[in-house]
Amino acid sequence: MPTPLAHAAPHDDHDHKPHGWRRWVYATNHKDIGTMYLVFSCIMFFIGGGAAMLIRLELFKPGLQFFDPQFFNSLTTMHALIMIFGAIMPAWTGLANWMIPMQTGAPDMALPRLNNFSFWILPFAFTLLLSSFFVPGGAPAGGWTMYPPLVLQTGASFPMLIFSIHLMGASSILGAINVIVTIMNMRAPGMTLLRMPLFVWTWLITAYLLIAVMPVLAGAVTMLLTDHFFGTTFFTAAGGGDPVMFQHIFWFFGHPEVYILILPAFGIISEVIPTFSRKPLFGYEAMVYAVASIAFLSFIVWAHHMFTVGMPLAAQLFFMLSTMLIAVPTGVKVFNWTATMWKGSLSFEPPMLFALAFLFLFTIGGFSGLMLAMVPADYQYQDTYFVVAHFHYVLVPGSIFGIMAGVYYWLPKWTGYMYDVKLATWHFWLSAIFVNVLFFPQHFLGLAGMPRRIPDYAVQFTDWNMVSSIGGFAFGLSQLLFPYVIWRCVRGGQRIGNKAWEGAHGLEWELPSPPPFHSWTTPPSDAVIARGAAH
Amino acid sequence: MQPQTDSAQRAAPGSQGRSRRVRRSALLWALIALAFYLSFILMTLVRGWK
Repeated sequence: MPTPLAHAAPHDDHDHKPHGWRRWVYATNHKDIGTMYLVFSCIMFFIGGGAAMLIRLELFKPGLQFFDPQFFNSLTTMHALIMIFGAIMPAWTGLANWMIPMQTGAPDMALPRLNNFSFWILPFAFTLLLSSFFVPGGAPAGGWTMYPPLVLQTGASFPMLIFSIHLMGASSILGAINVIVTIMNMRAPGMTLLRMPLFVWTWLITAYLLIAVMPVLAGAVTMLLTDHFFGTTFFTAAGGGDPVMFQHIFWFFGHPEVYILILPAFGIISEVIPTFSRKPLFGYEAMVYAVASIAFLSFIVWAHHMFTVGMPLAAQLFFMLSTMLIAVPTGVKVFNWTATMWKGSLSFEPPMLFALAFLFLFTIGGFSGLMLAMVPADYQYQDTYFVVAHFHYVLVPGSIFGIMAGVYYWLPKWTGYMYDVKLATWHFWLSAIFVNVLFFPQHFLGLAGMPRRIPDYAVQFTDWNMVSSIGGFAFGLSQLLFPYVIWRCVRGGQRIGNKAWEGAHGLEWELPSPPPFHSWTTPPSDAVIARGAAH
Repeated sequence: MQPQTDSAQRAAPGSQGRSRRVRRSALLWALIALAFYLSFILMTLVRGWK
């Protein structure tokens, strides 16, 4: 009777790739699941972007133009939830699925069925969330922060919001478990921790953050659910509860969440800049320690989001100073990226252009974050458009440009074809110009006192709002180039070899382009690993 | 190392130890996540009772 291994042997000549819908619904292959995550993220990016353009349409002129205030608040709430949980986080998980096995010399993710499950939760979660637009009372409108008691006034969509958040959290936790277990158990022999590419390192640290904070969000929304339906008063002052407690719990999740959204971008920028500078990354170990320090500090700064609720002076000082401390490891990273480029042989292909824009514009977002960290200044800026400008500089030219840099960097590897570089360069310049037209004026509006989350405003804010809206429409429309470039590349183009970029290092570039269905069926040799880990 | 033909068939005899490590560490991290979930609810409860 043949043993399982004897049975497997005659089939080694083909890859058992399933076909048709089964390939996607029953997918256990890391590349297929990665592709599904990325496609899902792209769809959510355009739905969330559509909501953003409606917001900018309403804000083009003062006065109520198109929407009633309740619907406007639904748009801002849903825009945030969709972009954070539907667009950026799944994009990182998609990139992790594609790249971590290929970069660590593993054949696949450690838990392929769990991987399938954690992806397929997401379409159900977002169908539930988006369908809340059509229930009595409309979609949630209390802000993505879901502060009680306001959020407890949400209509029929309240349980849909809570359940969808639970589903998204479960998906993220399962994905994070998979990433940690893969990196810790599936690396090829010889792929030591300090030989791992920075993208793998940043994702490992991100996964630890996810495990620590997503359950905290789940706990917070579970308590909201019981307050709403089962008569508990966790956050209801009338019953002895404390609404400020919710803010503490939420931001204990919420601040590390910011780093969950940005750390993998640090990893990608640390891959792209050395490739197009044709130099090893400056200070590899310092970069690893800087990311770990940022992750640690992210747990002890949460109350800077809520200085104005009133807290003891000592607490204000602690949270102000700990927040400012984050500038140190972040500065280490920015200077190391700059030092990597110093005297390098630079070239400016689309991934490098997005990485450079990231470097400049994320730093602007970092500096406005430092301004917000100062308690007396924060009392002025709190709940103004200055905050909106700050976090959009961190998340759009930060996280989203990081995703775009990663996709433009690895797309030729995934498809085996080079994409239309000219069109991708157009995509970059339109994005880089209009993201500033969109968000930079919001600093001025905030400093002048325009509050956030309002559908109407005083007439003196009109001019900069018009500029911002024009930037928003142009930025939004220019993003249509992104899926078009990808679609054309998937369909064909100029064939590339193993290495799409002359200066690229790393195990993924040792595999053929496109890579085989199972990545490293035989672990790479130590010499190959050493060649890839040229930092 | 045996060539891999299917994710489900990866558990060749030589990799049984690794499979065990994978299962154990996945379970450990799931329990840690569960502990965070429950402890924050418990913390809020305890604070409310004071």
